[in-house]
Amino acid sequence: MRKITLKIIYSFLVRWFLKLVVGVKFDNAKFLLNETQFIILANHNSHLDTMALLASLPSNIIHKVKPVAAGDHFGKTKLKGKLTEFFVNALLIKRGRDKENPANDPINKMIKALDNGYSLILFPEGTRGEPEIDQPLKKGIGLILEQRPKIKFVTAYMKGMGKAMPKDDNLIVPFNSTLIYGKPTLVISKNVSEIMNQIENEFTKLRIKTTDNNP
Amino acid sequence: MKELFHIKFLENNDLLIVVSLIFGILTFASVLFYVIGKIKPKANLKELKARTKSWWFMATIFILATIVNTNISYIAIAFLSFVAFRELYSLLGFRNSDRRAIFWAFISIPIQYYLAFIGWYGAFIIFIPVVMFLILPLRLVLKGNTNGIVKSMSLLQWTLMLTVFGISHMAYLLSLPEIDGFNSGGRGLLLFLVFITEINDVMQFTWGKLLGKNKIIPKISPNKTWEGFIGGLISTTIIGYFLGFLTPLPTIQIIFVSFMIAFSGFVGDIVVSSIKRDIGVKDTGNSIPGHGGVLDRIDSLAYTAPVFFHLVYYLAY
Repeated sequence: MRKITLKIIYSFLVRWFLKLVVGVKFDNAKFLLNETQFIILANHNSHLDTMALLASLPSNIIHKVKPVAAGDHFGKTKLKGKLTEFFVNALLIKRGRDKENPANDPINKMIKALDNGYSLILFPEGTRGEPEIDQPLKKGIGLILEQRPKIKFVTAYMKGMGKAMPKDDNLIVPFNSTLIYGKPTLVISKNVSEIMNQIENEFTKLRIKTTDNNP
Repeated sequence: MKELFHIKFLENNDLLIVVSLIFGILTFASVLFYVIGKIKPKANLKELKARTKSWWFMATIFILATIVNTNISYIAIAFLSFVAFRELYSLLGFRNSDRRAIFWAFISIPIQYYLAFIGWYGAFIIFIPVVMFLILPLRLVLKGNTNGIVKSMSLLQWTLMLTVFGISHMAYLLSLPEIDGFNSGGRGLLLFLVFITEINDVMQFTWGKLLGKNKIIPKISPNKTWEGFIGGLISTTIIGYFLGFLTPLPTIQIIFVSFMIAFSGFVGDIVVSSIKRDIGVKDTGNSIPGHGGVLDRIDSLAYTAPVFFHLVYYLAY
């Protein structure tokens, strides 16, 4: 039931809305079918980002991919949390570490989801911040990949969505945007800061790609 | 069901002949480029293929108008405007504080096409040049950010004029009243406009390739030559003369109108080229990969549509 709901919402409704109305150009994400599990790392400018990433996925793996969202925002009330979990398939986490309660610790929660077979969508910049400006990456993803080095990460870079729907404005104004994917990559090191450097480099490659193909 | 389909179309030989001709030419072009692409993989056919593709799209709009339902083509042309407007404004670097005004500019698209649909000429012709011209600056002013506001006011209005007002004349052709003894109607006129604009592009390109030596405006469009331009003008006017039965005009006027379509098609082409050149050179940081699709497709039509419409409107209606 849930699988079908997510499929209809994202592969059909959201995808066509984003394509036709907002003007999002999707990269082909078929290559994700070759991976059993992955972590998508994306830049974050807009609420549309999660929608676009889910809509870009091949429809039969959507239910296996959990976008990670901040519990304090999306789980403000119990109802909001439940709705987000159902309709966005989200994994709600705390923003900071929780040493006293390991079950509630964001890193542990994400690793648990991975161990249960889910793939994740993560925004390593944390919050959306200023529209269309890249921010420094948080090292949570490094901590996860340090503990689960067999899982590949895939970078995704989105451009324009921060203009279509920026932070603090819920009006969507169509703006031609793009979503492009990098290649699924294994970490080459066990050191968190080296992992972060590797991710940073992958992002830089995508950023160059978006500015290279100018008309 | 009878209302949905124009069964009459099948009896209207004029339209049927031209539609078959168009699809024949398009099929021929597509097959030709496909074969050349296979034989000579290095040949640069990207531009030609994109053009053929866009004309397939235009031809399909028209076939929908003639065979299925005229109402669908209002929607299809409106959507074309919408995509063109979105594409152009996305490249022009508007401020974040312009979003509300841009939203209203988007809202004006369905209104403009609705006015074309109901055939209210007076409102159709002033809605964007007068009403939106007055409203959009107000919305910008209410937002309160005066830093760069003149640029936003001008860009927004100009983008609307080019991509919405100009193109919407194609839709109004379908709403023109019936004339006794002229049974192709607005559908014939739209077909004439699109076909002549298309053939002019093709002719200018062909003559340019065959004889082209003297460049007209090398800074904007290095492929445009005097030979292509003049060859295009002459051949388009001749073809227009033979397709004159799609319009209610007498021969001398058909020749004049075809000539004007050929000329304004060229102007539209170089105007849009200059825009792309400006955006490509200046604002590389703001642009988006894989872009520049629809703009290329509407360049000549954005000019030929209003020119053709007003000439016909003055001469025949």
